[in-house]
Amino acid sequence: MSTAVPSSAPRPSRLAHGRFTPLWFLLPAVLTLFAIGIYPTLFAIYTSLRRYNLTRARDGFPFVGLDNYQAVLSDSTFWQTLGRTAGFYFTVMPAELALGMLIALTLHRPGWSFMRSAVRVSLVVPLATTYAVVGLIGRLIFNRDFGVANQFASWMGFEGLDWLGSQSGAFAAIAIMDIWQWTPFCALIFLAGLSMVPNEVEEAARLETSSHLSLLRHVQLPYLLPGLTAVLILRSADILKLFDMVFTMTRGGPGAATELVSIYIQRVGFRIFDMGTASAQAILLLVLTILLSRIFITVFYREID
Amino acid sequence: MKRLLINAVSAAAIALAAATVPALAQTPWAIDKAAAPLKGTKVKVLFLDRPGYRAIIKLLPEFEKQTGIKVNYEVVPYENAREKQVLNFTSKGDLTMALVDLVWIGEFAESGWIVPVDTFTKDAAITDPNLNLAGFFPLLLNAFGSWDGKVYGLPFDNYSGLLFYNQCMLKDAGFDKPPATWDELMNVYAPKLTQPAKKQYAFALQSLRGETQSADSFMRFLWPFGGSLLTKDFKSNLGSKESQAGLKFRQDLMKYMPPGVVSFDHAEAVNALAQGQVAMITEWSAFYGTLTDPKTSKIGNCLAVAPEPKGPAGRLPALGGFSLAVASQATPAQQKASWIFSQWATSEAIARAYVEAGGVSGRMAVYKDPAIQAKFKYVNPMVESWQQGVPEYRPRFPAWASITETVAEFGSKMMLGEVSIDQGTKDITVRMEDTLKKEGYYDGKKKKLQ
Repeated sequence: MSTAVPSSAPRPSRLAHGRFTPLWFLLPAVLTLFAIGIYPTLFAIYTSLRRYNLTRARDGFPFVGLDNYQAVLSDSTFWQTLGRTAGFYFTVMPAELALGMLIALTLHRPGWSFMRSAVRVSLVVPLATTYAVVGLIGRLIFNRDFGVANQFASWMGFEGLDWLGSQSGAFAAIAIMDIWQWTPFCALIFLAGLSMVPNEVEEAARLETSSHLSLLRHVQLPYLLPGLTAVLILRSADILKLFDMVFTMTRGGPGAATELVSIYIQRVGFRIFDMGTASAQAILLLVLTILLSRIFITVFYREID
Repeated sequence: MKRLLINAVSAAAIALAAATVPALAQTPWAIDKAAAPLKGTKVKVLFLDRPGYRAIIKLLPEFEKQTGIKVNYEVVPYENAREKQVLNFTSKGDLTMALVDLVWIGEFAESGWIVPVDTFTKDAAITDPNLNLAGFFPLLLNAFGSWDGKVYGLPFDNYSGLLFYNQCMLKDAGFDKPPATWDELMNVYAPKLTQPAKKQYAFALQSLRGETQSADSFMRFLWPFGGSLLTKDFKSNLGSKESQAGLKFRQDLMKYMPPGVVSFDHAEAVNALAQGQVAMITEWSAFYGTLTDPKTSKIGNCLAVAPEPKGPAGRLPALGGFSLAVASQATPAQQKASWIFSQWATSEAIARAYVEAGGVSGRMAVYKDPAIQAKFKYVNPMVESWQQGVPEYRPRFPAWASITETVAEFGSKMMLGEVSIDQGTKDITVRMEDTLKKEGYYDGKKKKLQ
């Protein structure tokens, strides 16, 4: 006679971990990414290969191969606006990096903990401001007659400039507003990098040298490079798609002085509604952003040993 | 006796019926009765943040109370209005009416997004017998509401370019009346009214890149000078002697305008006059309310209004405005409700209330009222301006959306001196003719309508 001995081990539950459990955890994120990132990109690629004008829906959306890309690459306005965007990039990025570094190094001094906390909070304010609002503030600051920019200039004995009415003035005005908004971002990233330098290493280095430049170059810089790479990648993508601030401030004018590539794409996409051409332009910008990111990672990114 | 009684009752009943039937047939049309089957229907339209829309919003509760139709509206900036509507119509959205700018009528009609009014006028139950299309200024009905011989929209928010001026500044400079011609404005008035040291200028021309540059600045100096954008065969007419003379005149006039006028939108130009910075502007009639409101203007009783100055080809002032049309994508009930609303909003019955609330009606009758003429200084010059004018002041075909971008870009560049007038004209010509070629105007595929 044998009796069945009940097993003390719990039976595997349906809810227990299985081979696919990690996949279930990842699924919501993957689906979300697909819905808001991958699908629109695939759709943009699809439309870029068609004659796709929303106001000519009655003509259909025929497949045209790479015609849209060819049209974009031979469009002088596209290259002009891309060149202007590059000019904007090389105007604002050095200023933002230099000022951001200066602010970060200033705040990274021993004994300024309260000041550091207060400034950190205030640095977030420009970052939290909506781009369109930054543009509207810019319109007020750079107004020729009652703007504070000309008020400051008059206190220093300069004659008021017609900021938004002249090509160079308008370009300078959008650059200044971008620097105002994004320098704090650079400062916060650099400050985070500086705080990663081990205290004992930094203290030892300070005993070795009194030169701030040597300290920065040989001790702090390696910790700043990952942050610098992130800043360069994020700001490159951001400047290539910068639209709201410039549009509310100047609408790309006067003339074409502030018509960055994103403003031009919006014009093609949402004024002329030529979605095929606009999608081709956007895909080319995406390729450019990926290339720039790879270059920045190759040139600047270093693992900290 | 019984038979007699029956006959008498029958005769009385027939007599009563005979009397009642014509009476019922002649019951006057009333908006509440027409809308009764549509009670609770929701309609939706886009409005702009301009006086004409604020005026109709003030009157809306009366319409909703009378009809039970709920009017939902979204206020958007002009620059976004076309984009929002095109996206809504192409994605079968919730708009039941279209707010149609004069330059969108061709695109909206050819795309089938709006319904011709004869679809509704056939239905006597929903059409006001006092609709009276002939009561609109013919120029407005033709330009704002019609395309290829069909009426689609009823003129709702109506503009004519007018000369608004500071009569006190003119008087101080020795002038007791406004300039009658552009030539007089520049060569007689402007030198005396411009004092850059005091930051005072004779004239401001809103020229911000966008529709403001192409409609309010560039085109304003073509027609009065005998020029135009296109010839009859849809080739560029910008190289003609007359068009070039107009564009050169605009460039020369800039020395009497405030610096930075290329960045002026309507608000800045109106404000420049309102704050006494300039003596004259040419602006839409719709901005009269802004200039007379003490909250937004210091000009007070110094404000005066005249028709735009004449050019060598006569007075052909800027023409602009919006009509209300029923959207094809709406359900049949929404279409009927939208039709009732658009008739009411543009009707002679509310025209006076609309004008008094700050709107500019397209109805002729209301401006014959001496009280209205006396109260609103803009009325007589505006009515005078609407007696003549060209509907194709800006071409109204679908290609305008692309051409206006080109005109705005090179028009601004000309004013800034970034390109010469000659070069800018050539650049516009090449791009504009390329657009028109792609549209099929040169190979006979498309009717040459503008």
